[in-house]
Amino acid sequence: MDQLEHITRAYSQAPWRKQWQIIGLVSLILVLIAMIAGVYLSISAQATAVGRDIQSMQATTIAVDRENEDLQSHLALILSSSEMEERARSLGFVPVPPEQIVYLNVPGYEERQSIILAPSNERSVVGARYMPPEFTESIFEWLFVHARLWYSSMIEVQP
Amino acid sequence: MSRAATLKDQERTWRYSFVGVMLAVLPFFIFLQVVRIQIDPKLLENVRAKIEISQHAQHMIVPARGQLYDRRGNLLAGNRTVYEVGVELRDVVNAQTIAQTVSAILGVDYQDALARASLTSSENAVYSVLVDNVPQEEIDKLAVVKEQMDALYAKTKGENVPSLIGLVYYPHLGRIYPESSLASNILGFVSRERKGYFGIEERFDGLLSGTSKTILVPLDPNRAEDLPKVPDGASLVLTIDREIQRAMEEIIDRAVAGSGSDSGTLVVVDPRTGEVLALATTPRMDLNEFWKYSQVFPKDTPFNRAVSQAYEPGSVFKVLTMATGLDVGAVTPDTVFVDTGAIEIGGTVIYNWNQGAWGPQDMTGCLQHSLNVCLAWINTQTGANNFYRYMQSFGIGHVTGIDLAGEASGRLKMPGDNDWYAADLGTNAFGQGVAATPIQMAVAISAVANKGVMMAPQIVNSVISEGYQHQIERRVIGVPLKPETAKTLTHMLARSLEVESSDALVTGYRVAGKTGTAEVPTPFGYTSNATNASFVGWGPVDSPRFLVYVWLEKPTTSPWGSVVAAPVFREAVESLVVLLNLPPDDVRRQLNSSIDGQN
Repeated sequence: MDQLEHITRAYSQAPWRKQWQIIGLVSLILVLIAMIAGVYLSISAQATAVGRDIQSMQATTIAVDRENEDLQSHLALILSSSEMEERARSLGFVPVPPEQIVYLNVPGYEERQSIILAPSNERSVVGARYMPPEFTESIFEWLFVHARLWYSSMIEVQP
Repeated sequence: MSRAATLKDQERTWRYSFVGVMLAVLPFFIFLQVVRIQIDPKLLENVRAKIEISQHAQHMIVPARGQLYDRRGNLLAGNRTVYEVGVELRDVVNAQTIAQTVSAILGVDYQDALARASLTSSENAVYSVLVDNVPQEEIDKLAVVKEQMDALYAKTKGENVPSLIGLVYYPHLGRIYPESSLASNILGFVSRERKGYFGIEERFDGLLSGTSKTILVPLDPNRAEDLPKVPDGASLVLTIDREIQRAMEEIIDRAVAGSGSDSGTLVVVDPRTGEVLALATTPRMDLNEFWKYSQVFPKDTPFNRAVSQAYEPGSVFKVLTMATGLDVGAVTPDTVFVDTGAIEIGGTVIYNWNQGAWGPQDMTGCLQHSLNVCLAWINTQTGANNFYRYMQSFGIGHVTGIDLAGEASGRLKMPGDNDWYAADLGTNAFGQGVAATPIQMAVAISAVANKGVMMAPQIVNSVISEGYQHQIERRVIGVPLKPETAKTLTHMLARSLEVESSDALVTGYRVAGKTGTAEVPTPFGYTSNATNASFVGWGPVDSPRFLVYVWLEKPTTSPWGSVVAAPVFREAVESLVVLLNLPPDDVRRQLNSSIDGQN
């Protein structure tokens, strides 16, 4: 019994060692928590900054859209019929009398059509028959075609 | 154990017990609340709504209103930045200063602004609008005053210190009409509430304005999301030509002033397609000042007489009567009618415009001298059934379906109607007792100019929506006449103008046309001296490119269409042929023959 107690006491750790182990473990946990918190905060801060940027860009998009509308309207004001007439008159232009108009026969001229401001909703498909073979043939096909051409040219030159 | 230790243990026990009880009771209450929320869906919805509101800001996305273009791509209606000026009630320091400032700079009523700025802030009242649609220039002035006031009184303490704190302004898009009053009767306008009134703006309000969407924007930047894409309103390309419209407006304005008329209307249509190239009426208003509407259009004044005001057209209607007579074979151009100066139909005696007897006349002569008696006689030969069947196929008494708000249908009394009498067959022949709008008349008569085919009047050429341009298809709305009838009548009308040396004749271009002078009916009959003077004409006769309809309401210088309306037609055509690049007939024939020679 004494022997067992002796062995136990011999191999048990000193109290100060146990305390250091606990302190070390707790410190390690704290450091880990701090690291995780730090990473989380960093990512969260970045996400917040990006979120703010997105909101700011959305506001900018709306403002730019408005500015675009403003510019179109401003251009229309500058090009309005009354403004244009005033400018033309100030430059010395006058309405042409009908008897001074000279009509010419211009081959291919077509009557002026209504304005096209956007593509038609009829979808256009690129016709495959207009696609040159360079875009579709493989190198072996190319070699085969050219070899055949070379061979036929050789035959033709023979008397 | 000492007494002190026992006391300490008891205190500790009490604390532990308290904490234990609390830990047991709180979950119980939480459980109770969970059960209550589960069994009461309204409570659940309220809780959810409160959470949503506390975490989000409500934001309404209003798409840009679609633009309006003329056929050449000139912008007729667009958008610009305007501001809504209001007060954040919680922040207001001095309501009087705010009211005085907005009253002085923006012209808002002082008492109204003061009442709005003085509202007490509460959960239900946080913001009050003072004025909307304020242009950038005025906001710039307001900003300068606000800045100066902040600099002057920022550090001043005490009551009644002048302050504009709480005054805010938010930008949004508002309507602008770069051409001011040009084509105003066609376009209509958009009110402060962003609702379209009259014309295109009203007719296509839903299409132009698009669909607004209210969204919840998270206040937490971590939850920032993409704003949903709300497509802008569709834009429209009109068939109107800005330059032609402007020229026609100038011409009709001069005509109204020169003839002392109450109003004037001038319609230009391409008879081949039904496209309306110009539609000029009086009065017109600057659409950028739409709040002056009631001043410009007092009482029941129509916004667009061409489509909204039906009137008795008078002798221009004879074109349709003659067309019917020729088409059913009741008469031919060579049919001779001996005009005795009067004819009795249904118990009513009909006389000519000058009460005179014109003797033997062929059908061209009847049109040339605009003989009521002759045309009434033609109707007796045509028969009521045929006549009214043709009038219906010409669209008289029905809306044309033009893409403008407020179109009137006019009135065509038919046999069987309570107020139809046999005499109406005679009076209707020369445009009396029948009401039609100028656009109805123009569309109906365009069948004569277009080989008997009547095209639907078109004012919207194409729609631009979500990046694509959709062309509006042209529609045939009827074929009331045979092509040969249309051709014959066109030559008869051209000849009648040439024989009488009409003021409507245009040098270099052969045109066909007919004058019209109609007495204005009163509740007591045709008792006033006032008339409606009209003219309808088209050309070039061999290949019509335009049809022009002129109406002057109650001219005072002369009551006759041949005197006041015919010269307006000539002036309009002289301008049109230049703007449409139409060479004189002989030059055109030479050019065509040279092209044929080359081919």
